[in-house]
Amino acid sequence: MLNIVVCIKQVPMVTELPWDEKTGTLRRDLAAGMMNPACKRAVEAALQIKEKQGASITVMTMGPPAAEEVLREALAMGADRGIFICDPILAGSDTYATSFILAAAIQKEASGCDLILCGAYTSDSETAQVGPQLAEELNIPAAAYAEHLDISGRILRVRRLVDNFRETLEMEFPALVTISMERYEPRYASFAGLNKAFMETDIPVLNAEALGITAANLEARGSRTKVRRVFIRKTQKENVMITGAAAIAAGEFLDRYQRAISAVIGKSIEAEKQA
Amino acid sequence: MQFNPCMKHKLIRNSARHFAEAELAPIAAEIDQQRIFPRDVIAKMGELNYFGLQVPKEYGGAALDSISAAIVVEEISRVCAAVGLCVTVHNGVAVYPFLQFTNASQKEKYLPQLAAGNAIGAFSLTEANAGSDAGSVETTAVKNGTDYILNGTKIFVTNGGVCDVALIFALTSSPDNKLQSSVFIVESKFPGFLRGELEDLCGMRANPVSSLFFEDCPVPEENLLGKQGDGMKIGLTTLDNGRIGVAAQALGIAQGAMEAAVKYAKERQQFKKPIASQQTIQNYIADMATEIMAARLLLYRACELKDAGAAFGCEASMAKLYCSTVASKVTSLAVQIHGGYGYSKEYDVERYFRDARVTEIYEGTSEIQRMVIARAILSQQMM
Repeated sequence: MLNIVVCIKQVPMVTELPWDEKTGTLRRDLAAGMMNPACKRAVEAALQIKEKQGASITVMTMGPPAAEEVLREALAMGADRGIFICDPILAGSDTYATSFILAAAIQKEASGCDLILCGAYTSDSETAQVGPQLAEELNIPAAAYAEHLDISGRILRVRRLVDNFRETLEMEFPALVTISMERYEPRYASFAGLNKAFMETDIPVLNAEALGITAANLEARGSRTKVRRVFIRKTQKENVMITGAAAIAAGEFLDRYQRAISAVIGKSIEAEKQA
Repeated sequence: MQFNPCMKHKLIRNSARHFAEAELAPIAAEIDQQRIFPRDVIAKMGELNYFGLQVPKEYGGAALDSISAAIVVEEISRVCAAVGLCVTVHNGVAVYPFLQFTNASQKEKYLPQLAAGNAIGAFSLTEANAGSDAGSVETTAVKNGTDYILNGTKIFVTNGGVCDVALIFALTSSPDNKLQSSVFIVESKFPGFLRGELEDLCGMRANPVSSLFFEDCPVPEENLLGKQGDGMKIGLTTLDNGRIGVAAQALGIAQGAMEAAVKYAKERQQFKKPIASQQTIQNYIADMATEIMAARLLLYRACELKDAGAAFGCEASMAKLYCSTVASKVTSLAVQIHGGYGYSKEYDVERYFRDARVTEIYEGTSEIQRMVIARAILSQQMM
C-alpha cells in the first residue's frame, strides 16, 4: 500500500489583510483561517489515489496552535493521520526554513513514504517554493503544478500545464508533486467526519526539539529572507479633459504624454521636435 | 460556559458556510420566487449528514453536540432560510422524537433513512382549530385489529409536500373511553395519506409547506410513538427542542441580513460619501450587531443546557422569542438601509425580511413563548 504525505498550510480566509508595518508580515490574527485551496486539492488528489488503489494518508502542517484546524479538516475529508509541527521558535520561517523543517518531520514520522503532495502555491504568499525545495531537501524527483496523477506500480505519471503546453512527466517513487488549482475539486467534509476528527483522533504535536532542530541548526538553516518593506500597490484612473483650439490642445496632449507616446512609437518625440 | 467558539465549532461553521455559499447562494432567490424545493442540493446535504445532525453514529448520523447543530442551521439559514427550515424541522422535531421516545425496532427501521436524508421528516400537530391550543386536535386514530385508522386534516405542515415520514398527532380512546392525544409514525406511502396543494406563503417559499389529509389511513400499531396518550408529553418536549432550531434559523437570517446591509452601506454613496459614514446608519448597524450577539449567546446557552441533560424548555423559549424578534427587527432595518432597493427583489434583504416574519409565529408564537417563560419564572421560588 502506498504511503502518502500531504503537506498543507492554513491561510487567512480573506484576500486582503492589513500588514503589520513593523514586521512586514500579514496580520493573520485578524482573519479566520482556512486550508489553502491548492493544499485542499492536494488532499483530494491523495484521497482519490486512496480510493482507487488503497493508500495511507498522513497530513502534516506547521503553524501556530490554530493551524491544527486544517489537519482536523483533512482528517474529516478522509486522511488517516495528522502531524502538527508547532513551536514558537519556528515562527516566521521563510520557505527555505520551512522546507528544511518539513523534511526533518517527514524523515522522523514518515520515513520511506512513497509520495509527497503539496499545494502548488498558497493564497497568502504565492511563492510556490516550499514543494520543490522540500524535494531538494529529501533528494527526490519533483514535478510542480500537476493537474493529474496516474500511478502504475512504482511509476508515477504527472500531467501538467506549463506555459500553455500540456506535458506528461514520468518518475519513480519516492517523488514529490505539487498540485495546481486546475483539477481535483475538493470534496466537502461530512459532519460525521468532522465530529470524528475532533472527538476520536489524536494529533501528535512536534516541537523543534522533537525534530532535532536546535538554535544552532536554525542559525545555519533558518530563514534567509527578510521582508524589508511592504506596501499596498495603489492603482488610480483619472480622466483628463484637454480643451481649447485643436492645435493648442494637440500640443498640450503631446507635451503631457510625450514619454508614453515615445515608448509606443519607439522614438523620442523630444528629439523629433528639436530636429 | 464557553463564550468563544472552540476549534470544532469554528470548523463546522466554516464547513456549512462554504457549502451554503457554493450550493445555495446561487439559487436562493430563484427557488424562493418559483417555489422550488431544491432536491439535488438536498441529496448532497444528505450525504454530508445535514439530515442526521444529532443522530448517533450507529444509525448513520453525525452525533453532533447541540451548539454544532445550531451552527449548521444558522449557516444554511444565513443564505437560504427555506432550506434551513427543511433542515431544522427534519432534525429538530421529526428526528428528535425518534431519539427520545421510540423503541429499538422503530429506531432501526426509520433512523438510518432519516439520517441519510433518503426520507424527509415532518411533524404535524397544527389543524384548522388547533395550533397554540395543542389540546384541540380533531384528527382521530381508531383502533381496528392491529392497525389504527387515521382520519383528519393537518395544515401548514413544513416539508409536507415532500415528506416520506410524518409524525401525526391524533386522538385515541383510552380503555375507559377517554380521549387522549397520541403520536403516530406515518409513512407517505400508506394508503389514505394525501397531500394538499403547496401553500403560497409570504416567505419560506422554497419549503414545500402543505396540508396533509388522512382518509381511513391504516397505521400499524407498531408505529405508535411511545405509548397511547403520550401525545402531549411528546409534543411539548419536541417543541422545546424545535424552538432551539427555529431560534438558530432566525439568528442565521438576521446574520445574513446584517452582512448584506453592512456591505450595502459601505458601497452606497449619497451626499458624495458612503451611507455607512452617516451616524444614523452606524446606529442601526450597532444595534443589529449587538442584538445578534446577545441572541447567539442566549441560543448557545439553551443548547448547552440541553447537552448537559438539564431542563432547557424555558431557555429554549427565551432563545426562540429573542432570536425571532431580533430577526424581524434586523431584517426590517436591513431593508431600511437599502432604501428603495431593499424593497425590490433585486436584493436579498427583501427575501430575508419576508422569511424572518414567520419565525415569530411558528413553533409557538412569541405570545406562547412569553407564556412558557412566565410560567417557568412564576413557578420558581421568588428570588
